Amino acid sequence: MPYREKTAWLSLIAMAVTFGPYFTIVAMRSLPGALPNLRQLGLFAVAAIAQMLILGAGHLYLRRGSPEDARTPADERDRAIMRRSISCAYYVLIAGMILVGCVMPFSSSGWSIINAALVMIVAAEVVHYGVVVFSYRRQT
Amino acid sequence: MMEGSISNRMRILRFHNGEMSQAELGQRIGVTRQTIAAIEAGKYSPSLEAAFRIARVFNLPLEEVFQWDAQATH
Repeated sequence: MPYREKTAWLSLIAMAVTFGPYFTIVAMRSLPGALPNLRQLGLFAVAAIAQMLILGAGHLYLRRGSPEDARTPADERDRAIMRRSISCAYYVLIAGMILVGCVMPFSSSGWSIINAALVMIVAAEVVHYGVVVFSYRRQT
Repeated sequence: MMEGSISNRMRILRFHNGEMSQAELGQRIGVTRQTIAAIEAGKYSPSLEAAFRIARVFNLPLEEVFQWDAQATH
């Protein structure tokens, strides 16, 4: 498996195990939506820090496993895959930001808007890394 | 528009050049082993520059390494 595919899997797993529970808790429990709501902020901080730790440890582990691959610069196919994945993620992100920034302020406020923005950012990232994994799987 | 696909003889050329490995060929033209594998499998079309580099490694003109299999459509 190419090194860049492994790192894409790592990013997907890190998001699943951190922001998956975060959004589940936010959806299940009715936390107060008004700002600043430190409990909600603390929950977000835990998810963000956990994601950073998983990514840091994961990258360290992958680098140790295949230092040669980690040092190899991206070639033209890697860059083509990166361009495709970023352009796919862009559409998800722009649609999300229009929804969150232009539509939601008329009906929601506080943490609802923040969490909706987070959902869209995470969705864009999932699309980004998902397209990377898919592209490497089918070798394109 | 004329439709078609790019095929190549890289696998056989590697074999005829001392059973050169995909990794070695990749190293010589500046791409990864996985990219060479993808090109050989017809899953990825290399840039013109990479195609010329590959042909240069085998000391052959480009068209003896890569072929355009045309399927005329109307």
